[in-house]
Amino acid sequence: MSDFSTHRIRAIAKKEVVEFVRDWRTIMAIIVIPLLMFPLLFILFPILLESEAAELDALELSIVIQTNEMEPTLEMAIETAGIEFSIEPLANLTELSEPGEDLERVRNSSVDAILRFEQDNSTWNYAILHLSTSERSNEAWNRLLDALSTWEKEEVERRIADSGMDVNATLDPLRWDGDVTQSDVATSGEQAGMVLSLFIPLVLAIWTYSSALQPSIDMTAGERERGTLEALLCLPCSRLELLLGKWVAVATITGVGVLLQICGLLFAIGYLASSSVIGLPELSIGTVALLATAILLFAIMVVALELALAMRSHSVKEAGSILAPMLLLIVFPALFTQVINLDGIESFWFAIPVVNILLALRELLMNRVITEHIIIWAGSSIFYAGLAAYYASRQFNREDIVTSLS
Amino acid sequence: MMEPLLTLTGVSKSFGELKALHQIDLQINSGEVIGLVGSNGAGKTTLLRLMAGVYTPSSGTVLLSDGQPVTQMRQALGVVPESTGLYSRLTAWENIRYHSRMHGVSDRSAWARTAKFAHHLDMSENLGRHTKGFSRGMKQKTALLRALAHGPSILLLDEPTAGLDITSARTVRKLVEQLKQEGGTVIYSTHQLAEAEQVCDRIVIVHNGDIRADGSPHQLLEETETQTLEEAYVALTKDAARSRQEDDEKEARFTGWWRRFFTPKPPVHLMEEVKESE
Repeated sequence: MSDFSTHRIRAIAKKEVVEFVRDWRTIMAIIVIPLLMFPLLFILFPILLESEAAELDALELSIVIQTNEMEPTLEMAIETAGIEFSIEPLANLTELSEPGEDLERVRNSSVDAILRFEQDNSTWNYAILHLSTSERSNEAWNRLLDALSTWEKEEVERRIADSGMDVNATLDPLRWDGDVTQSDVATSGEQAGMVLSLFIPLVLAIWTYSSALQPSIDMTAGERERGTLEALLCLPCSRLELLLGKWVAVATITGVGVLLQICGLLFAIGYLASSSVIGLPELSIGTVALLATAILLFAIMVVALELALAMRSHSVKEAGSILAPMLLLIVFPALFTQVINLDGIESFWFAIPVVNILLALRELLMNRVITEHIIIWAGSSIFYAGLAAYYASRQFNREDIVTSLS
Repeated sequence: MMEPLLTLTGVSKSFGELKALHQIDLQINSGEVIGLVGSNGAGKTTLLRLMAGVYTPSSGTVLLSDGQPVTQMRQALGVVPESTGLYSRLTAWENIRYHSRMHGVSDRSAWARTAKFAHHLDMSENLGRHTKGFSRGMKQKTALLRALAHGPSILLLDEPTAGLDITSARTVRKLVEQLKQEGGTVIYSTHQLAEAEQVCDRIVIVHNGDIRADGSPHQLLEETETQTLEEAYVALTKDAARSRQEDDEKEARFTGWWRRFFTPKPPVHLMEEVKESE
């Protein structure tokens, strides 16, 4: 029996993929959800937020103003803001923010907010009673604050003008001259790369790990649990072929999942670019190839590690309880790399596992191709991927993998 | 004179503290139907796994007649494990085809053999069905078809009639007979003496990791001076059978300690109350 047959590896991988595809729930989790996630997040979610905001704007709120002397200019400012209100006399209170007898009115929502104000010589004191857990009350609070802010600005300008000073020169003594965007010499593509580099590596790393999680467990601990591994181990195939066949299957499923997610992301970015929210990054073909290499090396390491750890487990439950918390090993370095300053970064960062690939992705998305960094991250990633593959092969060679719960 | 096929010499197998098999000497000859008989936990499955090359012995050797390691005969090996090992999201035929492809057998050839045996086992109608809804008996038959599809010359069957109805169990026995007539070697694990007597030329009684007897049913009766195989078996296995604890023994120390920590002790006080009331 030859130790290595591509025919057998292909047969194992094909069977694994076919079996996996036949479970519609996993297809939903790995294919459909990633494809829709970014379009939903970037396109549908803002639309939903807009419609929610429009709904709030249309609310007719019950607002009470408590004062003993209504300032006409303030009354006008509140009316101009489209706020309908009723006026009540102000009770005798130690502080205006003290709810007093109005507590229940606001809590039971018979009034959405109460604005109290009184004049104190040349200034005005005010407080707004509201219920922060009520959307209506929060909206009333916001509308009143906006109106008060507008009135305050007008009042300040009026007082400056009354004292004979230039309003604009007093309030805005330092001014930008010209177009702010024009003064940034970075191209829109570079700016887009900078923005994308802040979240694409994070998303890719997390998604690669989580996409490989379910198939890795199903094809190893799942096989052990169901007792299907023993028959397989009696076949004329080596454990290395078994590992490679399963690795190819998991990598294929993960690759498709991540690719679809990138498609969804690009679609969303394209949509946002058409709305001038964000541009498209400027990447050369070489940079794109390096990006693909970095992702591939990362995937080799992650899939091999997940297969190895899942193969050590006797059951799906055991594998899940080991592999799921390990996601933190990806999330923490991923979050950490987002705050590392890439300007003048020391080279050793590109040799640290997980961090190296995430930094590489950030640099490449910003179209910074630094040979020294590439050599370090590629070399160290090949080493780590090889180490993970060696560990996986050791796990697949364990004798006890034949024992099953069934 | 039968030719030796496989020889186990001084084979021991341990899992941590547990000695599953010790100092086993056994020769398998080609064309024989051998029954491994023993209680649960006796070591039958461990012995079969050693013969299939899934386990390596802790000491001793398992070699083919030409001195090659046992893994070299996998091409000629058909195995039905105790758990059947079928993929529930594949059809019966897809399960069979998968194993045949791994043996390098063409789909056409595998189908021809499968169709022939499926007819005998009354499984022809079920080959296109997913195995998820199969009964234990149907799974067992599918596993048997899978083991036969590539035309093996050696069959390792781990309790192949467990869960089968009387007719199907009889058909399996007939199939074994047929394979024997075709010159195949069958190693058959069971704890049913009547079945072993009916099917096997040679019975190997395994008990607590030892081989207690090895010979034809007639030889066993002579050796033990008993009238029936059941009596012979009882005479050979007087000491209490050990429990099946392979997995527990292999459990990591901390895991075992953790589990015991959260396991309440048996309700001894209730037993005392029952005694008092009696």
